[in-house]
Amino acid sequence: MTQHLTESDVRGIAEYVRIGMTEDEVAQMTVDLNAIIDSLAPITEYDLEGVEPTFHPIGALTNVMCEDLERGSFTQEVALLNAPKQQDGCFLIPSVLGDGGDR
Amino acid sequence: MAAVGKPFGAMSIAEIQAGLAAKEFTAAEVASATISRIERDDAQMHAFLELTADMAADAAAKVDAAIAAGTFAEAGPLAGVPVGFKDNMNLLDTHTTCSSNMLANYVSPYTATCVEYALHAGALPMGKLNMDEFAFGSSTETSAFGPTLNPWDFQRVPGGSSGGSAAAVAAGLVPVALGSDTGGSIRQPASFCGIVGVKPTYGVVSRYGVVAFGSSLDQVGPFARSVEDAALALNAISGFDERDCTSQRADVDFTANLAEGVQGMRIGVVPAFMEADGLTEEVRARVAEAAQKLEGLGATLVDIELPNAKAAMSAYYVLGPCEAFSNLARFDSVRYGYCDPGHADLGAQYEASRAKGFGPEARRRIMLGSYLLSAGVYDTYYYPAQQVRTLITQDYDRAFQQVDCILTPVSPRTAFKFGEIGDPTQMYLSDMFTISINIAGNGGMSVPVGLGADTQLPVGVQLISPAFKDVNMFRAAAALESVYGPAPVAPQFAKED
Repeated sequence: MTQHLTESDVRGIAEYVRIGMTEDEVAQMTVDLNAIIDSLAPITEYDLEGVEPTFHPIGALTNVMCEDLERGSFTQEVALLNAPKQQDGCFLIPSVLGDGGDR
Repeated sequence: MAAVGKPFGAMSIAEIQAGLAAKEFTAAEVASATISRIERDDAQMHAFLELTADMAADAAAKVDAAIAAGTFAEAGPLAGVPVGFKDNMNLLDTHTTCSSNMLANYVSPYTATCVEYALHAGALPMGKLNMDEFAFGSSTETSAFGPTLNPWDFQRVPGGSSGGSAAAVAAGLVPVALGSDTGGSIRQPASFCGIVGVKPTYGVVSRYGVVAFGSSLDQVGPFARSVEDAALALNAISGFDERDCTSQRADVDFTANLAEGVQGMRIGVVPAFMEADGLTEEVRARVAEAAQKLEGLGATLVDIELPNAKAAMSAYYVLGPCEAFSNLARFDSVRYGYCDPGHADLGAQYEASRAKGFGPEARRRIMLGSYLLSAGVYDTYYYPAQQVRTLITQDYDRAFQQVDCILTPVSPRTAFKFGEIGDPTQMYLSDMFTISINIAGNGGMSVPVGLGADTQLPVGVQLISPAFKDVNMFRAAAALESVYGPAPVAPQFAKED
């Protein structure tokens, strides 16, 4: 099997996608991802010279404009209904500007 | 309860509506008896995650009022019919979990268009159905709330990702359920459970309110035990929706040509698929037999080639994870979804919440998608995968110049046992015959054609239609059904009350 990714690469990706991982999980993920990437090899072996990509099954997507009408939307209460933490009608997160403030 | 032996969930749409019209039973009775039956008979199988008895009763009251007022004919094509919804479909005030700990406590603040259209058509909402977590899987084993069992054999998986939807219909708990299909997630479980499952052409059914996995691949469709019921359900849920920018204006009656037969139809068969590595002999034999039956009914079989289909698998496992990585970035532990408690730092809260909220397969696909889209790697995998998509689409275009629809296997084998496939790359092979259709965007459906000779488990054949000519596959499916009969309720659930 080709080593496409090292454990260090996997740690970097985990940080980027904001998924915390233990060292054991990093090791297993490295094995899994290398195996999956190996299985993708056919895509790299195709002669695709001059072939245009298709990014979407509906090729000719055009921008659609709607009538400029007032419509209902979520109330603040509904928008906050699933928020794990809220305060004063806002989503509440841990302080991002150093220590202090309400938690 | 009404004086009928057959549970309502085991009836066809026509049987339920005839009984309602003749006042043999009321919609309220249909709703309450179906909820009771699910409570009793689904306890072990675990197709349903949540039941919506109150909503079903409310919907039934409207149908009964229409019957009393003499306006039943206008009550909608699904009037009085119990329907279940895959748990990635928002229904106001229900949990919509995607079978993930990430959304275990999420309560929908709105209703998906496909669900809304079903309810508008008079459906009685029975509840939400189990699935692979975020639809990542082919067995329902990745559900954070435990797997669904195959109603034909509890030792086996029902397929996935829409395994709960397929199992509920195959067990006769509901006549119709909705699922979603990104690479085979309607067709493969339909095949494993021996029922009809339809992935319409991309754009036929609105995706608004259905939790996104691969936005250029996802499509909603119905499960049913007959071709006609599947067509009626698709009639109800399809149609333009301004809230989905990929929704198409295609005013089609999917029941229009069910009775036409296949005389004069040209049906493509792909010899390379029938000789594919991994295709079991019992499935191959059933698919070949189905082709012969169609020929016997007057269709012309034409050998066709889909030369780039062999690249579809790798293209899919590039495109799917890339789109999933992007779609699953929204789960931030702040606006909704699981939030790991006790973190003083936002970054630490993100990392712990996403680590604990997502299961192993979701984490793998997010990581893989991120890698494949990274600078330098993008040009090796992602861009070529989109070029391969062009080739696959051209293959179908060429094939459909010769034929009206194509017949292939759905899955290379019948339902496998729990834990039998542990390696993710092996699991991905479950979708080898279905994924190229999502990549090209045209329609595909699974139709049951009896049991495999070795395993005595259901086998499905796949009928594939050109984009927006889904009626072609329905026509051939109805012809197959005239030979094999509608799908039976799975034997251990077929006992009459």
